[in-house]
Amino acid sequence: MKCFSRYLPYIFRPPSSLLSSSCHTEADIISTVEFNSTGELLATGDKGGRVVVFQREQESKNQPHRRGEYNVYSTFQSHEPEFDYLKSLEIEEKINKIRWLPQQNAAYFLLSTNDKTVKLWKISERDKRPEGYNLKDEEGRIRDPTTITSLRVPVLRPMDLMVEATPRRIFSNAHTYHINSISVNSDYETYISTDDLRINLWNLEITNRSFNIVDIKPANMEELTEVITAAEFHPNQCNTFVYSSSKGSIRLCDMRTSALCDNHSKLFEEPEDPSNRSFFSEIISSISDVKFSHSGRYLMTRDYLTVKVWDINMESKPLETYQVHDYLRSKLCSLYENDCIFDKFECVWNGTDSVLMTGSYNNFFRMFDRNTKRDVTLEASRENSKPRAILKPRKVCVGGKRRKDEISVDSLDFSKKILHTAWHPNENIIAVAATNNLYIFQDKVN
Amino acid sequence: MEYKVEAHRIMSISLGKIYNSRVQRGGIKLHKNLLVSLVLRSARQVYLSDYYSGACLNAAQSEREGNEWDITDSEREKFPPSTTECDRIESSEEPQQNERPEKEREYRENDDEVKSDQADCTSTLQQEQKQNSSLDSVAKVSSETPPETIDEPKESPSVSTVAESDSSPEADGESHQPPKTHVCSNRKRSAEKTESGDLPQKRTKVASSNAKEDEEAEEMDTSNVSNLITIFGSSFSGLLSKDGAKPESEAEDSGQICCDQMLKNLNPWSTAIVAF
Repeated sequence: MKCFSRYLPYIFRPPSSLLSSSCHTEADIISTVEFNSTGELLATGDKGGRVVVFQREQESKNQPHRRGEYNVYSTFQSHEPEFDYLKSLEIEEKINKIRWLPQQNAAYFLLSTNDKTVKLWKISERDKRPEGYNLKDEEGRIRDPTTITSLRVPVLRPMDLMVEATPRRIFSNAHTYHINSISVNSDYETYISTDDLRINLWNLEITNRSFNIVDIKPANMEELTEVITAAEFHPNQCNTFVYSSSKGSIRLCDMRTSALCDNHSKLFEEPEDPSNRSFFSEIISSISDVKFSHSGRYLMTRDYLTVKVWDINMESKPLETYQVHDYLRSKLCSLYENDCIFDKFECVWNGTDSVLMTGSYNNFFRMFDRNTKRDVTLEASRENSKPRAILKPRKVCVGGKRRKDEISVDSLDFSKKILHTAWHPNENIIAVAATNNLYIFQDKVN
Repeated sequence: MEYKVEAHRIMSISLGKIYNSRVQRGGIKLHKNLLVSLVLRSARQVYLSDYYSGACLNAAQSEREGNEWDITDSEREKFPPSTTECDRIESSEEPQQNERPEKEREYRENDDEVKSDQADCTSTLQQEQKQNSSLDSVAKVSSETPPETIDEPKESPSVSTVAESDSSPEADGESHQPPKTHVCSNRKRSAEKTESGDLPQKRTKVASSNAKEDEEAEEMDTSNVSNLITIFGSSFSGLLSKDGAKPESEAEDSGQICCDQMLKNLNPWSTAIVAF
């Protein structure tokens, strides 16, 4: 695990945020973080509907110590607040998820979604500009055709690099409930969008039609007992996807079996431990995130207190269970009162599927090494993160004597939560979103 | 005992959350409200089982109550014997039915999925098993009226004749609540008046009208619960009827769904009180 304790932290903030995190505006709260498939780009979405894309600097021999830092590449407003007049409901502009499409040409494409609408954005560079139009002058004003005496061919001249983002597709009006996830298929032609009760399959080219492939809405809404909390396509098999439920179960579906995948092919569920039963057992068993491993062999799920790794060949119980912050188990009632128990933490794999990472409170995030079974708690905070400094492992003391440098459970700051993290697909670079700040840590070079 | 206090506190908090979710930006979150309703249900279960373990019902029954959600077919058959209690209850319900029929009516107007086939305990428990009851059973519980009103939903005038339906058919199996619970609930209601002041004005009016009823000396904690239901329920029905233009609950209308969801949340809770 030594590599993780030698992370170099440096901090990026979305351009519009205030300097101090204690007086940030709500719109700056980061709501999603995602690396693209090469790790060259990192996208963040926030509550204000903005997307900020960072690009990794090319490594240069001149400055070897500045190994690929991330700089702002593009910023654009993806979603605006809307109002549904029929239901008298406001539709939040908060970006719930961003997913990158694999790169096929010079432009980059990503899908971003709020509660109701998914948008496909094209991010492209422009470094040349045509000059010498016949019908309009240099400022763009239309020239009087009678004054034109000769024709010329416009030529492309270099200009300052400009990165522009344009919405290429808008997929709307397909979800009655709030969209919680999107996932691009490995066929790069389709993707799924998931709300509380339904999963829809889209073709990336077609915006006026989507296919409903999972529908768990009961005929009588009063019989509702569970909702879908997340869904993801298998990384390699384009016919397979999984979705997790609020009851703590994961269903794997094969689209080849039928058009409507209400019947699962596999059901992953662990029987509840009766000794841990409490008023809040159902809430803490609700799965907040599900992720396939890069290999496609394993599934990782996050519920309120644990991270579990499942082998897709074994449905009866998870392969591994890791406690994220079990010291909160005795505090569930107060966490229920202050709504923290409803926080949806995400979880990520590293590139080789050997390490898991997830967030916690007090700006702590945790990593679990599957091979050595060791885990570490790190903190993402400005005070502890000077450039080139090494992150120090943190510890929460659960009772009894508190050692120096330990934090007691009661002094944890529950308003500082790390819900969204991302791991570079190939290297040991992680992005951690702490409220309105984005921290990027990378493994120290020898 | 402390479990009861804790359970009660959790129930109040849950109701507060459900209420506040209505004014949240971005619309009502189905997932969160579902989880809150599950907590509400668990808390109620504990609350009631804790009460009844020492109350008039025998131990066997309280055990069954504790497992109400896991009830099996074989167990369901054990319930009909308590029909006689229902009849006792019906006769003592009269005073309360005046204001409840109104709520009932409002519920029914807004419910386009009225069930008319739960005439016996079995189906009620089946409902509970699915963690669901029709809106009518809320009204039913709140007014402790016999299932007639559910059986024949078309007879809306029957709502107002609820008071006269003492001679309820055997089908009342589900409302075999001990008389004590129900009668005493009225007294507690006045205490509940001051609780969670963010509920609308209508609630206080309801509370005061009930305070006049006769009560027994014995303290009933479940009255707090039923009080909250009726108060909360009435406030909801009030809101629903105010929305007036709101169409019959379209399944796609998430706003309506959540109202239904709230009412549904109240139902199993109320039904359990009746059942026991």
